[in-house]
Amino acid sequence: MPALRELQAGVRTAILAGDERTAAAAVRPDGLGAAARLAVYRHHVFASLTAALESIYPVIARLVDPRFFRYAADRYIRAQPPASPCLFEYGASFPDFLAAFPASRRLAYLPGVARLEWAMNVALHSPDTPPVEPETLRALPVLALHPSLTLLVSPWPIDAIWRANQPGAVETAVDLHAGAVRLQIWRADDEVVFRGLSPGEFAFRDALACSGRLDAGAEAALAADPDADLVALVRRLLDERVLVGPGARPGW
Amino acid sequence: MESGIGLRAPHVAEVLATRPAVGWLEVHAENYMGGGPAIRALEHLRRDYPLSLHGVGLSLGTAGGLDGGHLQRLAALAARLQPALVSEHLSWSTVDGAYLNHLLPLPYTEETLAVVAEHVGRAQDRLGRRLLVENPSSYLRFEHSPIPEAEFLNALARRTGCGLLCDVNNIYVSGANLGDDPDAYLDALDPAAIGEIHLAGHAVNDADGRPILIDDHGSRVAPAVWALYARALARFGVVPTLVEWDTDVPPLAVLLDEAATAGALLERHGGRERDARAA
Repeated sequence: MPALRELQAGVRTAILAGDERTAAAAVRPDGLGAAARLAVYRHHVFASLTAALESIYPVIARLVDPRFFRYAADRYIRAQPPASPCLFEYGASFPDFLAAFPASRRLAYLPGVARLEWAMNVALHSPDTPPVEPETLRALPVLALHPSLTLLVSPWPIDAIWRANQPGAVETAVDLHAGAVRLQIWRADDEVVFRGLSPGEFAFRDALACSGRLDAGAEAALAADPDADLVALVRRLLDERVLVGPGARPGW
Repeated sequence: MESGIGLRAPHVAEVLATRPAVGWLEVHAENYMGGGPAIRALEHLRRDYPLSLHGVGLSLGTAGGLDGGHLQRLAALAARLQPALVSEHLSWSTVDGAYLNHLLPLPYTEETLAVVAEHVGRAQDRLGRRLLVENPSSYLRFEHSPIPEAEFLNALARRTGCGLLCDVNNIYVSGANLGDDPDAYLDALDPAAIGEIHLAGHAVNDADGRPILIDDHGSRVAPAVWALYARALARFGVVPTLVEWDTDVPPLAVLLDEAATAGALLERHGGRERDARAA
């Protein structure tokens, strides 16, 4: 009988790698074989984690064949099992995994759509953070965008693909060559929403997010679009209530 | 005493809107460790219902040590929600940084008892309260597991001061899968340690031509489990009882109906206890 630590490492290998030699030797067969008994646990781990990924990535699951989704999930779970028991945090690297997954290389827009779905998941679960009020703006040396907010750029029309694959959506053809999209995904009044940003507004918010400074945002906005209306850009940040004080990014 | 229900995401809006007559609510702690509308809904509900926080991810049986970060998140959530009960499982899920989303079985040895007792002690210190530890549903037994599970739980309670969450369905499922007598298991548990009872449905699957019971929380409580519950009440007295449903979650009314059945048994038993005291 191995010590507890070795036994648990053996069960991990049985579940994630399918190699049951260490674990099965420690299990009493008792009518039903050790492998069949371990398989009950293995099945639950994969079924529940696949379901967790499907709940975060419903459009990806819809875009591919169900068997393909289960196959991709199976490979992903083996390679990158959850690090935390909070399953709403599981799957951050699934878009990158899909981008490198040879079997889905033909669907070039898949990782981008997955990034949109992950950003929506982050928006749903991010902490509640009060926005900066206009009168306190000058007093804050460093600013940040709301922790629910993600800025995303994609060469594919991932927003149109997402909309066309919602339950009950009217069947529409998506022009895959419609050009790049720049999106902002965030939570507003408890609803997860996204909208497209112009190149100037995207550059403004992206630079602000990276530097924490409005002047850096303004510089980037003018570089992207010499006609950018800086006053309007700042006003919209405040109106959308997505500007917050420092130290408000989530830890995951 | 009234019975409670396990509150799951599909029912939150309806419970918020209709405030059904149910004694208390239990939630899985890990589902509320983020921010946003989920935790805020719970903060509303906890004003009207006693709340129980049921952890599924602390992995009390991991030999490599407790995840301090996760314990910290559980403690922060408990501080925010001030639940009436906090519970976890006699199992493990995390090894070498990987969380295997399941309540995995432990060999019941002195080594395991020392590991789990240390972790329960640490959790209770951090939470500043007594933890209830739930008996798992099992699909296997290890070759070297000399301490009977009920005895292991009693010893854990004695050593750490923790309470026990007696899942009656789990006793039934494990008994069928491992060839143990559920009545004997129930009779072996220390009544003084029992702080909560769980009830749920299970599925009967086929494994290599042999039936195996799966604790899927996906149907009504089986008649045999209700009978075992009556025996538990006779032995433990009136204990807060919860009905859980996690797979193919039915309309809220079905779950409330199951909880009402448990509530009627609790009520009948409470009446008997009062009569016995009066006599």
